[in-house]
Amino acid sequence: MRLSVAEAFQRYGDRLFAAAFSLCRNQMDADDAVQDALIKYLTLGLDYTDETHIKAWLLRVTINCAKNISSSFWRKNTVAWEEHMDELAFEAPEDHRLFEAVMRLPQKYRVVIHLFYNEEYSIREIAEILRCREGTVKSQLSRGRKLLKKMLMEEWNDDE
Amino acid sequence: MTNKERYQRAFSTLHASDDHVLEVSAMKQTEKIRFNKLVAVCAVLVLVLGLASISYAADIGGIRRSIQLWIHGDQTDAILEVESGHYSLTYEDADGNVRHQSGGGVAFGPDGKERPVTEEEILEQLNSPDVVYNEDGTVWVYYFNQKIEITDKFDDQGVCYVQLKDGEGVLYMTIKNQSGYSISRHNYPNPISFN
Repeated sequence: MRLSVAEAFQRYGDRLFAAAFSLCRNQMDADDAVQDALIKYLTLGLDYTDETHIKAWLLRVTINCAKNISSSFWRKNTVAWEEHMDELAFEAPEDHRLFEAVMRLPQKYRVVIHLFYNEEYSIREIAEILRCREGTVKSQLSRGRKLLKKMLMEEWNDDE
Repeated sequence: MTNKERYQRAFSTLHASDDHVLEVSAMKQTEKIRFNKLVAVCAVLVLVLGLASISYAADIGGIRRSIQLWIHGDQTDAILEVESGHYSLTYEDADGNVRHQSGGGVAFGPDGKERPVTEEEILEQLNSPDVVYNEDGTVWVYYFNQKIEITDKFDDQGVCYVQLKDGEGVLYMTIKNQSGYSISRHNYPNPISFN
C-alpha cells in the first residue's frame, strides 16, 4: 500500500519532526530532515505492507536524514536548541525539564530513548529501524535512562 | 503517570513547521501562472525550496549542471544536481563560504496522482522571487539583480504589494508577512486567495 505524500505528512509529520528534532536539536534542521524523507518517500515509490510499515520506514529515513544534516561539514542552521525552548508550550514545568534533560543526552541515547518512549517501539523494533543490534539498543536505552534518572531524579520513574 | 506518558506529553509540543504548506501555497500560485500551458498538470508544487535565481545553465554532463544564479542580488556560479525530483545546489556565497542547499518537489495531476517535478520545473522554482526575513527584522525581496527592502511596506493586515520587472514584463507580487507570497503577470493576487 501507499499513502500520498500529503497523507503521510498529515499522519506522521509531527512524529517525524519530533524524531528529527530529538536527534538534531534544531527546528530548521528537523524540518529539512522531514522534507528530505518525504521526498525520498515520493521518489522511491516503494510499496509498503501497511501503515505501520510506512511509519517505521519514514522514521528510519528521517532519522538518517537528520544524522546526515547533523554531521554535515557545513550546517546551515545553527540555532541552538535552547533558543527554541521559549517557543514551546509545555503543559507542565516537569515536561519542560524532561524535554531539556533529553536534549542534554548524547545523540545516540536520544534517538533510542525517543523511539522507545515516544513511539513505543520495542527494543527489537528499534534495532530494526536503526539497523543495529538489539544488544546495542538495550545498552543505549539503559544508559540513557540512567542519565535521565540522574538529571530528573524523582521526576523520572524507575518503571520502563 | 508513567515515563512513557510523561515523555509523550512533553514531546507533543513539537510540531512540523507549516512553512512547507505556506511554501506550497505560494508555489501553487506561481505554477498556475507558469504552467498554465500544461493542461494535464494541475499546478500544485510542494516541498520545493529555492533561494536563488537562475540566469544561465550549461550542461557539464549527466544530471550535473554548472549554472549561474542570483543570490540576494549577487550573481555567482553553482553546481546543480537533479535526480528524481530532488535537487542539490552547491555554491560560494559573497563571503567565500561554500553553501549547500537541497530540496525537491512533487506535482499533483488533476486525478490526484503525484509525480516528481522535472528539472525544468525545479529551475522555474529556483528562478522565483525570494523573500528573506533577516534577524535584524528587515525584510527583503530578491529577484535576479533586483533587491527591494519591504520592511515598512506591510499594511495593517501584514500584506505588502511589490512590482518586479524582468524580460517578460511586470511581475505583480503580494506578500503576507511571514506567510508566503503569490505572484501574477496580470494583477496583484488577492491575499485571501492563498495560504
